[in-house]
Amino acid sequence: MNIIIELIPVIMKRRNFLTYSSLASTAMLMPNFLQAFSSPKTYNSRSGKKLIVIQFSGGNDGLNTIIPYRNDVYYSSRPSLSIPKNEALRATDELAFNPNMQALRDLYEEGLVSIVNSVGYPNPIRSHFRSMDIWHTASGSENYWQTGWLGRYLDNNCAGCIHQAIELDESLGLALKGDVRSGFAMDNVRQLKRTSSNRFLKNLAQQQHEHEHETVAYLYKTMIETQQSADYLFEHSKVYESKLEYPNGAFGRDLKQVAELITADTDTRIYYVNLGGFDTHANQKNAQGRLLKQFSDGVGALVKDLKQNNLLDDVLIMAFSEFGRRVKQNASNGTDHGTANNVFLIGNQLKKNGFYNAAPNLLDLDKGDLKYEIDFRRIYATLLDDWLEADASNILNGRFDKLSLL
Amino acid sequence: MATTVQLMHLYWRAGFGCSPSEWKQRQGLSINTAVEGLFSEAKQSRPLSEAGLLLTNKRAKDLSPAEKKALKDRSRQLLADANVDWVMRMALSAESALLERMSLFWHGHFACESKTPLVAIRQLNALREHALGNFKDLVLAIARDPSMIRYLNNQQNKKRAPNENFARELLELFTLGIGHYSEQDIKEAARAFTGWSSNMRGEFIFRERQHDFDSKTFMGKTGNFDGEDIIDIILEQPQAARFIVSKIYRYFVNETPDEARIQQLATQFYQSNYDIGKLMYSIFTSDWFYDAKNIGTKIKSPIELFAGIFRTLSVSEIDAKSLIYAQRVLGQTLFKPPNVAGWKGGKAWIDNATLLFRLNLVEYLQRGSKVRARKQDNDEMMQSTRNSRKAIVIDIHDIMQELDNSSEQETYVALRDYLLPSSQNIDASKILPFVDKSTKESYIKSLILRLMSVPEYQLC
Repeated sequence: MNIIIELIPVIMKRRNFLTYSSLASTAMLMPNFLQAFSSPKTYNSRSGKKLIVIQFSGGNDGLNTIIPYRNDVYYSSRPSLSIPKNEALRATDELAFNPNMQALRDLYEEGLVSIVNSVGYPNPIRSHFRSMDIWHTASGSENYWQTGWLGRYLDNNCAGCIHQAIELDESLGLALKGDVRSGFAMDNVRQLKRTSSNRFLKNLAQQQHEHEHETVAYLYKTMIETQQSADYLFEHSKVYESKLEYPNGAFGRDLKQVAELITADTDTRIYYVNLGGFDTHANQKNAQGRLLKQFSDGVGALVKDLKQNNLLDDVLIMAFSEFGRRVKQNASNGTDHGTANNVFLIGNQLKKNGFYNAAPNLLDLDKGDLKYEIDFRRIYATLLDDWLEADASNILNGRFDKLSLL
Repeated sequence: MATTVQLMHLYWRAGFGCSPSEWKQRQGLSINTAVEGLFSEAKQSRPLSEAGLLLTNKRAKDLSPAEKKALKDRSRQLLADANVDWVMRMALSAESALLERMSLFWHGHFACESKTPLVAIRQLNALREHALGNFKDLVLAIARDPSMIRYLNNQQNKKRAPNENFARELLELFTLGIGHYSEQDIKEAARAFTGWSSNMRGEFIFRERQHDFDSKTFMGKTGNFDGEDIIDIILEQPQAARFIVSKIYRYFVNETPDEARIQQLATQFYQSNYDIGKLMYSIFTSDWFYDAKNIGTKIKSPIELFAGIFRTLSVSEIDAKSLIYAQRVLGQTLFKPPNVAGWKGGKAWIDNATLLFRLNLVEYLQRGSKVRARKQDNDEMMQSTRNSRKAIVIDIHDIMQELDNSSEQETYVALRDYLLPSSQNIDASKILPFVDKSTKESYIKSLILRLMSVPEYQLC
């Protein structure tokens, strides 16, 4: 297989090659019953818009990510935590990137980045779990919903598909859990393949269960689909190996995996990647800097990777965190849980490059916290309607005005 | 005399299955005798000890950073112990399985994350005390429960600035369900619970100066209501009985509600003045509870799955870290529900990752364990367990003994019916080729592993 790929330019033949090879190879390995079970959608090779969601867990300090480097209030509120003017990577007359985000600033210069400031929701919650729940479910802060916004997208738009949305993690987060469909979680393809290709389970899968109780049928169906997806994803993971340098660590590995799967024309539309560790309260500057560097370098490599295969037109990246931090630093060179924050969008189909709206007003605070200006569900509505071509008001259980982003 | 399938159904839904010796002893019981046995065990149980759980009398601001860290570590350790101890109680024949099952149900209903071991155990004691008692007492105990008070911000619910969080969830999630009260009812109820607070020692305290003693109008009634009055008025609504019974039906009987049955049970429950024990007794002794459509159709929650495996395999030691990790991966960590709405349950337990983990779970456990098959290995094995740092001790001695004189085929049928609720469709030709037949011991061991790895084992 690898030999063929080297001989045929990946970009030119990618789609044709895969339609042929993945069908042939997985079909040969599949027992008859599985072949009957597999829906045509599963092995369809097709292009389409892809969404990559990057989640910063722990509450990223937005004010030290995008720095208001001409704002005296910023410097007086953070005497030892602020980023000095001469270190910040300038973007506009007002705002600059964290010094660790050179790669992202380069993308910004190329017009591939749009940053929405002061994103949040009414009656903000400062608990990590609860606020992340709200971002995952797209509920209001007084509601407890048990399905995620992308899970409901799958419910609405994806009757027959099984790995339409992949979370690169050992377990599936709430964002990708729907009522009847859910996303697909995997730490990495090889491990997934190992745990699912157990001979005993493969053998069991050949037993008919359609006439039994619905729950039994459901378990067998999920097992069989998982085995199919594992085979499918494993085959696709071998098609293209990125030679670019991604940052060390799980996040970089995950993004590389995403780039490889997208390049192999996997029929997955949504990838969900986690970058954790933002829950710093003390000596925050270095810890946050390291994470932002991973983010920026990782996205830099990902974009370059997709670009060189002419795939960037199809891909949009969104990065968010469950909340930002308070404007004032605390006594231990950190910041405490806050409210509104910036959201990043990266791609080449953005209508508005650069900053979507003005920097947060540091003089008009709500008990020391930024006031939100844009409800995060407006961003979701935009992505759902304008990128994934879904019915946002149905999925979000309400109408949210879209932003003019895409 | 009830059939084995009926008895296993009862013991699974009202508990966590049977240990091998229970399985033997209980064959041939009538349903009534079996149910009475469960209730009489529940009556004998005692509260959990709270000794040693109050870790400090100091205020957080009076602690040095080192003390704070030590306290946090100790607290985390004790919470982990509380978690493992609870799973072990569910698995142990000496404990009341019914009481543990009911407490687990109420833990999911009054979902609450406990941050310190003392309030976690205190809340669990409240759930245990009233689990089969009166629902009003249970709701009142939860309204006065320090962990819930902290979780739903009733500490901040004061006359001058009411916090509606507890009142809202009391109505929406704990008693009536959405659509059966107004926003104004929430505001008025919140006023009635002002000053219901907790102190440093993790005890309920009524802070009179924060309480709003003025008149409130709640669900059409006006008076100087306090929290208890609010609970009384809520429970005057037949909807409260319907709401609870519906949840109990979906948890204990069938995920698909049977509205006529629920209405009939709700009327009884209301007329019994919310007697939970009576309701459960009535469900477990009803003919329809044993209808085929109710048997083997519920997906075990992760905790039910663990408790059942541990009970069957007489697991006596397990490393807390691994168990809690597995709970997290499978989506149910005790004392840490995802939010106040609790665990969604049913099919939501299953996605590709959790299903694969569940199907491989018994194999993981066996790989990480010392399996004890003969009584005399005991000391030697405990010794080697310590030395080899194996995390879990499994004992299949009892099962071996039960099957001593059985042929291979009889052993297969017996184990299949013991481990799987709806076993008639299991195809032996898919199982037996994967079983090691070299000795009786290896046959039983590998057969258990295989039967616990089929998808049907996820059901009860």
